[in-house]
Amino acid sequence: MDEDRAPLFKKWSYWYTLVIVFLIVCILFFYLLTKHFS
Amino acid sequence: MSRPDWIVLALTLLGMIAYGLYKGRASKDLEGYFLSNRSVPWYMVLLGIMGTQASAVTFLSAPGQAYTDGMRFVQYYFGLPLAMVVLCISFVPVFHRLKVFTAYEYLEQRFDLKTRAFTSFLFLVQRGLSTGISIAAPSIILSSLLGWNILWTNIFMGGLLIIYTVMGGAKAVAYTQQLQMVIIFGGMSIAGYLVIHRLPAGVGWTDILHTGGKAGKLNIITTGFRGGSFDWNDKYNLISGVIGGFFLALSYFGTDQSQVGRYLTARSLTESRIGLLLNGLVKVPMQFLILLLGVMVFTFYQYNREPIFFNQAELKVLEHSKYKDSLALVTSQYEAVDKERVGVGTGDAATRAQRLVTIQKEKEGHKATIRRWLTAEGQDTNDTNYIFLRFVTDFLPKGLVGLLIAVIFLAAWGSIAATLNSLSSCTIIDFHKRFSSRKLSVEKEYRLSRLYTLFWGIFCVAVAQLAYNIGNSLIEAVNVLGSLFYGVILGIFLVAFYRKRTGAHAVFISAVIVEAAVIILTVLSRKGIVPLSFLWFNVVGAVGVILLSEILQLFMKKEPAPAAEKRRRLF
Repeated sequence: MDEDRAPLFKKWSYWYTLVIVFLIVCILFFYLLTKHFS
Repeated sequence: MSRPDWIVLALTLLGMIAYGLYKGRASKDLEGYFLSNRSVPWYMVLLGIMGTQASAVTFLSAPGQAYTDGMRFVQYYFGLPLAMVVLCISFVPVFHRLKVFTAYEYLEQRFDLKTRAFTSFLFLVQRGLSTGISIAAPSIILSSLLGWNILWTNIFMGGLLIIYTVMGGAKAVAYTQQLQMVIIFGGMSIAGYLVIHRLPAGVGWTDILHTGGKAGKLNIITTGFRGGSFDWNDKYNLISGVIGGFFLALSYFGTDQSQVGRYLTARSLTESRIGLLLNGLVKVPMQFLILLLGVMVFTFYQYNREPIFFNQAELKVLEHSKYKDSLALVTSQYEAVDKERVGVGTGDAATRAQRLVTIQKEKEGHKATIRRWLTAEGQDTNDTNYIFLRFVTDFLPKGLVGLLIAVIFLAAWGSIAATLNSLSSCTIIDFHKRFSSRKLSVEKEYRLSRLYTLFWGIFCVAVAQLAYNIGNSLIEAVNVLGSLFYGVILGIFLVAFYRKRTGAHAVFISAVIVEAAVIILTVLSRKGIVPLSFLWFNVVGAVGVILLSEILQLFMKKEPAPAAEKRRRLF
């Protein structure tokens, strides 16, 4: 469907990957923060 | 509160009502009233989704939660981004293509009327009650802290927003949520800046992180394993956050009409998807920052006089009890320990943090004594929800206190307004229109929708008042209300989307049985017989419905696919 084209990326799957990768990066960052200041 | 605070509070709240009435003019039919004529851009969808999820308690409790229990609460949101992805793949395209008003309409097209009515009924009961509680919780805190009358606080917290929600419907909700989120983020940012600004000279971010870390407040990631085995009763850890949080978020955003109603107002499927995916990107960092504010306030109190108990009203009860003299003694001992912090100003940040945490541990002993006495007097021993507001009222300048109180009201309004709109849409679409033998005119439908919004508004304020009269224990009990129903509702939707061979009777019977099982499980869990944290109820409910309906279907005749389902397969 033309109206459902993903903005910025070619496919919606790139958006989904971005969201999941960002979550993993956040968790890693939080893990390092926890370890460093515990 | 000072006069400037009252002026800021009154102007903000009145301004919001006026803005809602001005912006809420839409076409006078159901499409305009409940879906804003499907005209909302992605950024308003995003702010609407966030504004609906974030209630007053989010901004009141979260900093206090970090102050007392640390930042591990952020893990509760780890399943949310994953749920956003699944929603965008499975749920949202179907809702958009079928052009439904409510999520439950789809269930009739996929299964039958009784499944739709059952699911919509569960939503109405759960949302109606939990919205009443979400009005009561901040009202109790504000009335206790500022000495306000509870009935009037409830009316202001849950009643004033009815004006623009009844008049303007979904459009007024969307526009006011947009402005509310801007004010909320602005207010919280100023509060965060002032916490740092009011720390002693030479004390900054490094001290906040070291002090928070040494005191165990930067426990952002926890595994939930204790002594080599997983603690199923542990509320917030990486595993329960990702798995339990995923099921909870999928159910909340995919099957709760207060959220579905927000992204159905989008002008296209693309705008709905972008709003949801951006919510998946910003929610975890946003929650992290709100919790970090709690750690900042914790550090602030290591350099300033920290109250022995943040809920002053409870201390007053002890002052008039048999513990009166003991309280005076413990308070003087506590203050003597508290004064030791004045001498920790030398050395590097890590050394200072270590000294402060040692003092803090001594203070905790005195705080525990106060809690023990409060328990004996039958009083509330949890002052978590009072920490942030007490800091605001004690240390922020005039005018800004009014703004931060307004933030609490606006956070409540954004969430409640969306809920009233969705409760009304389910009542008229899933029940009144569906079961009425008389055909309603467009004008009559519109007028009825407004009346139902008004009814639900009054109902929620009445529940809030009742909750106050029954007491705090009910509030704690109803905190798990969502998890009681969400799992089962999600299970029904997951069967609808992914198990094409399963029919209406199998899923309906499974849902009723599993719902009863989840309620029994909740009672056993609260009595300590089954050690299971509430987040896992979502998993049990959803997986239970899927598995049981699969088994039951083996013994049932295959049902013909409903007409609408056949139509859906054409896409």
